[in-house]
Amino acid sequence: MAKIKENSFIYADPQKCLGCKNCGLACALAHAGCDLQTAVAGKRQLQPRNSVVKAGDMFMPIQCRQCEDAPCAQACPTGAIRQEDGLVKINEQNCVGCKVCSMVCPFGAIVVTPVPNAEPNRKTKRGKALKCDLCFSSVRKDGQLTCACVEACPTQAVMLVDPEGYRTKILEARAKELAKAHSVAKQKRA
Amino acid sequence: MNKDYKFVDQAIEELLPKVKEAGLDTVWDRFKSMQPQCGFGELGICCRICWKGPCRIDPFGNGSQRGICGADAHTIVARNLIRGIAAGAAAHSDHGRHIALTLLEVAEGHAPAYCIKDEKKLMSVAARLGLSTEGKNVRQVAKEVALATLEDFSRQNSSIPCSWARQTMTAERAEKLTALGVMPHNIDAVVAGIMNRTHVGCDADPVNLLLGGLKGALADYTGMYLSTELSDVIFGTPEPVITTANLGVLKEDAVNIAVHGHNPLLSEIICDVAGSMDEEARQAGAKEGINIVGVCCTGNEVMARRGIPLATNYLSQEMAVLTGAVDAMVVDVQCIMPSLGVLQECYHTQLITTMATNKIPGAVHVEFTEKTALEDARRVVELAIEAYKRRDKNKINIPQYKETAIVGFSAEAVFAALSKLNKEDPLKPLLDNIVNGNIQGVALFAGCSTTRVAQDHNFVTIARELARHNVLLLATGCGAGAFAKLGLMTQEATEAYAGDSLKAVLTAVGEAAGLNGPLPLVLHMGSCVDNTRAVTVATALANKLGVDLDKLPVVASAPEAMSEKAVAIGTWAVTLGIPTHLGIIPQVTGSSLVTEVLTDKLKDLVGGYFIVETDPLRAAGKLYEVIRERRKALGI
Repeated sequence: MAKIKENSFIYADPQKCLGCKNCGLACALAHAGCDLQTAVAGKRQLQPRNSVVKAGDMFMPIQCRQCEDAPCAQACPTGAIRQEDGLVKINEQNCVGCKVCSMVCPFGAIVVTPVPNAEPNRKTKRGKALKCDLCFSSVRKDGQLTCACVEACPTQAVMLVDPEGYRTKILEARAKELAKAHSVAKQKRA
Repeated sequence: MNKDYKFVDQAIEELLPKVKEAGLDTVWDRFKSMQPQCGFGELGICCRICWKGPCRIDPFGNGSQRGICGADAHTIVARNLIRGIAAGAAAHSDHGRHIALTLLEVAEGHAPAYCIKDEKKLMSVAARLGLSTEGKNVRQVAKEVALATLEDFSRQNSSIPCSWARQTMTAERAEKLTALGVMPHNIDAVVAGIMNRTHVGCDADPVNLLLGGLKGALADYTGMYLSTELSDVIFGTPEPVITTANLGVLKEDAVNIAVHGHNPLLSEIICDVAGSMDEEARQAGAKEGINIVGVCCTGNEVMARRGIPLATNYLSQEMAVLTGAVDAMVVDVQCIMPSLGVLQECYHTQLITTMATNKIPGAVHVEFTEKTALEDARRVVELAIEAYKRRDKNKINIPQYKETAIVGFSAEAVFAALSKLNKEDPLKPLLDNIVNGNIQGVALFAGCSTTRVAQDHNFVTIARELARHNVLLLATGCGAGAFAKLGLMTQEATEAYAGDSLKAVLTAVGEAAGLNGPLPLVLHMGSCVDNTRAVTVATALANKLGVDLDKLPVVASAPEAMSEKAVAIGTWAVTLGIPTHLGIIPQVTGSSLVTEVLTDKLKDLVGGYFIVETDPLRAAGKLYEVIRERRKALGI
């Protein structure tokens, strides 16, 4: 049986984040499919799917972790949220904007808000749940995912993490250190 | 934003790969690594004025709509914009003050390197300032002109406008601007006033702030005007001269000295002394002696007055060093990239700073004063000859591109050329041709070059398109540099690109002026501080027609603008009533109100307004449309 791959997710290094919020601008624009000047000239109210939060004297951009057992997907009464294509996806068609997902999300990463530029509707506010979708519709020429927030970060604090690769890197680095320490200890004993 | 564009300038295109091989960074590499640039900054909605901040406004309406003090996007954008105008005005007017003080030194006999080269101009300036010249010798008049000029920096009575502003525009315009409360009385006070009103907790009304900006821009205009005119008095008023431009003007067998920056005070003297030091250069092994070339606007100054060839314009200044053939890069003020100091680590080029307020890490500093100008200039040339001896022949790579450039079209030169057609009434031929439509209108190209567009591309594209529609083209600054480098200041360019009726007029004037052919397609009016030369022509035309400047079929374009000086110039052009195109998006769009005022509401107030269009062909279309509208309004 093939091994189930963990979801990639966006992670931001608080050591590198300066709190400039450029990732938020880029995120909002990427999902609106227009450039900054056009959006501002058209007075379009765009919604980023991440938030830059200040914690003490550090900044932490927060967005969906693409949980492996996602509470939002478990809780969604209309089945609009499900694991698909390596991420936790919201099917906006099925979403009724009930906010259950945003209440159960441990990271506060889901906002329920009118979809930008949705036609006004006298009956409802047309609110939908929005969260980081890893810009899944934006695939570069080389087939890699390209995430607007990652590309927009001037200090490279924001990254798209493949958990397995990330873990391998840490394992290798620590293994190297431990091996070195052991060999030094051995030499001393000898 | 196109980051991998092709260059119009083949010299750059040829040199760049070799620079990359050497592992060096240029302005374009740094632009790339600076991406993405901050969206809040691009919109102008980041405020760093006080230390409670920085604050920024959420342009999408979700987050903060006011800074910590309560300033909204409109206030923040307006404050940021007019601070830029103040900086531009300070830059130009400090340059002008330096020239005026030098004129005073000349008058008092304290500046042996200088003299009054254009007495006729001195007298006309004195007359313009309302000074009587009768029975006074040249030095007396020079002193009075210098002191009257310096009053524009020191007058405390705010009800008396700056003389250089009041006397150089149409009376109607001066009245209108006085009534609006935007006529400057004292350049320095206006700059200080902007810094004051934009301090935390002061002026928060965006429209009032913008009016302050117009006043700042007119202070800039005043400083520029006096700077150009007094430079002409000291160094001579430019007359048409045939020279060459682009990196091919560098000579492998000469000591190449590049003069770069804006202020002609030292570069003029370097040109004076270089001739007498030719032999020293030859003894050092340089068969062709000393070769002075220009970069940026100091380059334009010595090109227009002396026919010194221009190596390149602002954005490609590093390219001059990267040819490996520039022995000294002598810089004065403004638009000098600090990267020149870094490039010296790999090239033998000696970077020499000369002004006390403009030092660059890595450079040798030879402090220039008017009193010691001759010695300073000699020291600079000696350093260049010493550097020549350190040249690495393997690094020499001069792209063999250069174009002929007919330059030096001061307002006086334009009137002189026209007087060959009509001695009694030189303006008549120009006016007649505008009225009969042979010349549809006049476009002034000004401003910088920027990494935000392919260098020189916007200039060339818009110019060719307007020329085809029989629009007379003027240029200053790095726009003029672009046209000179790329062969648009030639008679051949007139033949190739001018519409038939424009071609006929340029040919008639050129033939009469003894050029054996047409005037060049684009008339080089000088450096960026010389934009006021175009105002001299426009004001003369307006007075002749008996209308104000905002009625003339005259437009301006800064299609590759970048500096705060350009912001100030563009704003005074608009304030004088001239519709002005910007080919890059200014950092104001975060405020719908400021954007609307600049691009629309100003039209009702002063007649001029900004046209923002990043596509050069569409920009040409819009500028031509404005010219047509104005012709229609004039009934011609």
